[in-house]
Amino acid sequence: MFCFVPSRFYVCLATLLHVDDMNSPSRLSILLIDDNHARAQAFTAALVESRYHVTHLSSATQRLLKDVDRIQPDIIVIDIESPSRDVLDSLHTISSVAPKPVVMFSDEEDTDIINQSVRSGVTAYVVGDTEPKRVRSILDAAVARFGEYQRLRQELDETKHALAAKQTIDKAKRLLMQQRGMDEQQAYSAMRKMAMDVGQKIEDIARTLLSVLNHLDNGK
Amino acid sequence: MNSDASMPVTLGYVALTDSAPLVVAKELGFFTEHGLNVTLQAQHSWSTLRDKLHAGVLDAAHMLAPMPIASALGLAGPACDVMTPLVLSQNGNAITLSNAVYDEIAATNDFSDLHLPLSANALGAVVAQRRKQHRAKLRFASVFPYSCHYYQLVDWLASGQISLDDVELVIVPPTNMVDALHCGDIDGYCVGGPWNAKAVRAGFGVTVLTSCDIWPNSAEKVLGVLSQYHQRYPERVTKLCRALKQACCWLETIPNRFESARLLSGYDYLDAPIDVIAPSLIGSCVVKPGLSPREIPDYNLFFSEHADVNAPSLQCAQWLLAKMESTGQLSKVVASEVDLSRIYRSDIYHQIFSS
Repeated sequence: MFCFVPSRFYVCLATLLHVDDMNSPSRLSILLIDDNHARAQAFTAALVESRYHVTHLSSATQRLLKDVDRIQPDIIVIDIESPSRDVLDSLHTISSVAPKPVVMFSDEEDTDIINQSVRSGVTAYVVGDTEPKRVRSILDAAVARFGEYQRLRQELDETKHALAAKQTIDKAKRLLMQQRGMDEQQAYSAMRKMAMDVGQKIEDIARTLLSVLNHLDNGK
Repeated sequence: MNSDASMPVTLGYVALTDSAPLVVAKELGFFTEHGLNVTLQAQHSWSTLRDKLHAGVLDAAHMLAPMPIASALGLAGPACDVMTPLVLSQNGNAITLSNAVYDEIAATNDFSDLHLPLSANALGAVVAQRRKQHRAKLRFASVFPYSCHYYQLVDWLASGQISLDDVELVIVPPTNMVDALHCGDIDGYCVGGPWNAKAVRAGFGVTVLTSCDIWPNSAEKVLGVLSQYHQRYPERVTKLCRALKQACCWLETIPNRFESARLLSGYDYLDAPIDVIAPSLIGSCVVKPGLSPREIPDYNLFFSEHADVNAPSLQCAQWLLAKMESTGQLSKVVASEVDLSRIYRSDIYHQIFSS
């Protein structure tokens, strides 16, 4: 059995983000990390003549990051009991390697329970065996969910960023009004002009202004 | 008798020297004495240990001290109410460098012999020289992003004004550390026992300082349980804590430390020679073949008569949270809103051990 746990593996997949149509013929590469050769073979066989291309590594642990970097897989499939799970878990936390969605193999009877718990997160998917149809549908769902998750995440990041930028600009505006006796419109226009003059974003100008004005203020 | 007494408890752990209290409590029958039927289940990665605890496949687990906080905040996957009622150990980690990097440090700094604990400034000189010569960045490993190993490594590098842009930090499973060091995939690592002594005994590396040299005594492993589990089985959690603290106390004397090394070396546990497990347990840091070991009395601390090592203090949780924040794992806003007293449950600890 295997289960899908993408919630902690992020971004990459500029390609995946555009795979909205599940019937799309685009090829996706899978990095399969499994010491169980019989299972690996069954898994690979299940994907013959599909859009998934499988690269199999048996004991991948110590060069895993290099392999991920070299193969640039769209999906990683790994045994839940592999020590390398922690390496994958760290992809987005401390490593510069672009994170990937991860599907996990498990022989354990506990798979259902684990899946239920993981499902409470952003995405998760439960599977039965290496029966070809099932395997393909799991991977398709994994790709779709990961893409959807990335899109939501990106939207959230953009919203947060926009909010932070607005707050910085407002703060700089208030400081200009206080310290330079400008009204709101004048303060904003002054910043916009500076931004255009130096070819920077208005929020960058606001940040620089804040730092300079605060510094002058402290120096008084 | 409470029905809890006959109930089984599945306890997850990672095979490390500081899993000693769990192995001792199991092998010496402390769990049974307290009316518990405990199954110890070795886990091969911290991520899987965490997922199984979240899912209830494990009832409790030997966890890295920052992990309950990361779980409660949902830093890696869905948030889950993991808490700790007991600290299992303090310290226990060390930084080991490859022979090649050690030699480079000695050459760059004109050292004729080792100055230990090694100052990160000495490494800084090498990092600066490599940058000037456009050579590859040094690569250092730890075992998990939410671990004291990682924060200790970052702190040590910072103490030598080494910018994180000038080195590469990676995660490598402990079982692969020694090989990765030997084949040059990494230049050094911060990890717990027996993996430092193992590299030294194999002649692959030099252990240049221990976590005691970087941080003052600080929680390393804790007992993690879900809050729901505690609400449902308070009696079982109490018994677990009592049996494990009994094991921590038992580990106080040197003869018992030797005995625990013997237990840990078994096939079912670390499956490693006693000469790589025992040193840290008896307060000795092996440094390099041919050199006398450093005396580090608190290398693995499980219990102390002078300080309450086992209480999950708020102060300790705050320290870890600050490290998570300073390494960019969570924002200041999130950090300021966390109620750590719900994660590091000193109230439960004191309730258990005051009665």
